[in-house]
Amino acid sequence: MSVLLQHPGYADERLRLVTERLPCREAQARTMLALMGEPEQYSYPSIFIYGHRATGKSYVTQTLLKELELPHVVVSCVECVSAGLLFEQVLMTFFGSSSSASLPRSPSFSDFVRLYRQLCTQLPANQTRYIVLDKAELLRDMDANFLPGFLRLQELVDDNVTVIFLSEIVWDKFRPNTGCFEPLLLHFPNYSKVELQEILAQDCHPSYSPELYSSYINILLGVFYSVCRDLRELRHLAALNFVKFCEPLENGEAKEKDTHKLWRNIEPHLKRAMQTVYLREVSSVQWEQQQQTEERETADMRVLSAHDHVELPFYSKFLLIAAYLASYNPARTDRRFFLKHHGKIKKTNFLKKHEKTSNHLLGPKPFPLDRLLAIFYSVVDSRVAPTASVFSQDKRLLFSGGASISLPVVLSEPVSTQCLGSPTPDPQRTLPYLSALQRAHQVKVNPCEM
Amino acid sequence: TPRHATPSIPTRSLPARKPGNVLEEARARLHVSSVPESLPCREQEFQDIYSFVESKIIDGTGGCMYISGVPGTGKTATVHEVIRCLQHSSDQDEIPAFRFIEINGMKMTDPHQAYVQILQKLTDQKATADHAASLLEKRFSNPAPKRETTVLLVDELDLLWTRKQNVMYNLFDWPTRRHARLVVLAIANTMDLPERIMINRVASRLGLTRMSFQPYSFKQLQQIITSRLNRVKAFEEDALQLVSRKVAALSGDARRCLDICRRATEICEHSSSQPSDTGLVGMGHVMEALEEMFSSSYITAIRCASLQEQLFLRAVIAEFRRLGLEEATFQQVFVQHQALCRVEGLQPIGVSEGLAVCQRLGTCRLLLLEPSRLDMLLRVRLNVSQDDVLYALKED
Repeated sequence: MSVLLQHPGYADERLRLVTERLPCREAQARTMLALMGEPEQYSYPSIFIYGHRATGKSYVTQTLLKELELPHVVVSCVECVSAGLLFEQVLMTFFGSSSSASLPRSPSFSDFVRLYRQLCTQLPANQTRYIVLDKAELLRDMDANFLPGFLRLQELVDDNVTVIFLSEIVWDKFRPNTGCFEPLLLHFPNYSKVELQEILAQDCHPSYSPELYSSYINILLGVFYSVCRDLRELRHLAALNFVKFCEPLENGEAKEKDTHKLWRNIEPHLKRAMQTVYLREVSSVQWEQQQQTEERETADMRVLSAHDHVELPFYSKFLLIAAYLASYNPARTDRRFFLKHHGKIKKTNFLKKHEKTSNHLLGPKPFPLDRLLAIFYSVVDSRVAPTASVFSQDKRLLFSGGASISLPVVLSEPVSTQCLGSPTPDPQRTLPYLSALQRAHQVKVNPCEM
Repeated sequence: TPRHATPSIPTRSLPARKPGNVLEEARARLHVSSVPESLPCREQEFQDIYSFVESKIIDGTGGCMYISGVPGTGKTATVHEVIRCLQHSSDQDEIPAFRFIEINGMKMTDPHQAYVQILQKLTDQKATADHAASLLEKRFSNPAPKRETTVLLVDELDLLWTRKQNVMYNLFDWPTRRHARLVVLAIANTMDLPERIMINRVASRLGLTRMSFQPYSFKQLQQIITSRLNRVKAFEEDALQLVSRKVAALSGDARRCLDICRRATEICEHSSSQPSDTGLVGMGHVMEALEEMFSSSYITAIRCASLQEQLFLRAVIAEFRRLGLEEATFQQVFVQHQALCRVEGLQPIGVSEGLAVCQRLGTCRLLLLEPSRLDMLLRVRLNVSQDDVLYALKED
């Protein structure tokens, strides 16, 4: 077990509790305690904590502040769509619920500072107050004076207050161009494999021995560690698949000692989980149901990506095919591919050098409506009259997101369309509501299917 | 609180100190805010404006005058003096009585506030901008037999510009009304302002009565200072000449000239050993004050920068030379910086430290940078000339 945290000013009993609750994060907790100092002492004005996803930034900070019973407020910047919400939350926590009533309707930073100073003279801090700003990268998109203001809040309000920023982004990308008060930087490194194992092994099942769970975690990490080091993700996967792991034990086919047998049983199952549950193609509920009902194989399940089959009318289908052909083929080759009597073609130098790279890599090209119809008529065998219904099909395809009108800059240019075979259409050329529609249900056109 | 209270500021508990010695006396006299009784070197301009306004008041008609000139050439002071003289002679019943109103474009949040201020000064009425405009319109277009002439001074005219220019249009249109009896004196900095920003109907109403104030020559500046000092012997003759020559060569701004003289008296006071025994302000003091006021602080900033910052500036110039452009990305400069570090025998620094160095130079405005969230692709430009940087770095 790890070394106990020790710091003057806090009871040893509490610190022992904190140590138990923060496995593998003793070093970081010790640094933070050292920065925070004793409760009455002034702490550093701003601390910037950064690290990868799920490295315990919020958890360590909140546990320390909560267990040591320090006055603190945790604000997630995602929730604060307006600055007023942020200020309100801070003032309410520190000075009681009625304090934020005197904030004006859309408060500026100076309103906040003024009110804070005013309330602070009535309720001076006898312990350091902490403001924890989670997802601090969103502060950069708020008003330009917010980040510099929070960095030197201690100086502005003249109170024992420390602002802790939590972010996944390094500090270099935060620094405003006009300069600011530099915070102390604290890095939370990733968990190593051993540490992950230690943390995951803590939540073992009560009806089985800890050793069994530990060996299960070992197998799980052996499969997943190369693709995923996210603690939350791994914990979720461990909880999902443990039932399957224990199946041979329940049926009496194996004992707890038969590690190899258990491994043989679970390994293909985990590999399948990586392709389905991990990519969220199958929901967790579906996965659990499928484990219970056993008969159906995992591969038979209708995964999420298999749902993109759209039933289309006959002409729409051909229109879509024509649009796809038009946007991924150079117009030069149209005569060769679609005309019946196209005359002689020179075999040599048919493709110029720069066109030899696949057109699919470069994305779709825009095409005029005339070309779409020409290809459409040559693709469809029977005679199609250019009736209103064909054109309305065309429109409907547009609205279901199959192709989009690219906005011509000069209106005298002919309106040209573009087939959105690629998952990322050029956002500037797409009408905004169309792109929203595409996101809602995107029609994928797969070249192999045609 | 009373409804119509006069705004006031708190009074001092102790009266302001009287100047103790010659230098303090000189400093009080040289302050920009202490306007003298008569302005030297502006006699001709004074005469022109005086006769213009006087003739309009005597005739009971209206008119516009446009006064231009670079800052610090005594435009507003001359107009104020004209008004003072006219008021004096109207008190003695030499000319009919008139009213003087002053508005300043810089003191308004919005050009349309001009109407509100004019109305308030004319009639003590408060109204919204639209309402005030219509009230003024009515006042100036209807005949009133006992109306006295109004002289309106519009300072910083260029700030009253709006898209439709209706504020300017009204200001210059009212004097042309038959019963208005309004004289408008408009002041701005640029001589060709009517041609540049005004549409034709506004410019033609402004008319061709124009006057431009030339920058002061060094003799005039010297005369101004001498007349201000008024027999207080605080400066050497040569020192005054140096100040006026220097200022006249750059801008001819009288305010700048007075400021430098005040600073020179301060330097003189600090440099003498005993506060009671101070000599005259000499050449040395004036030179020091001129140095402080005119020298660029960029070179000092570069010389006082840390070693890595100086290296970074050197890397920027090296990269510019290599590319042949005046712009490079941080990544390119950083490669040069690391090479320079190795050449100098220093430990090469990391990317974060490099960015910190770069952004510190950006906060001093030695470099011009893009927002920091671009990190490696952030484009870097120099805000000072390359020669200045090289000159500053060459010294050590």
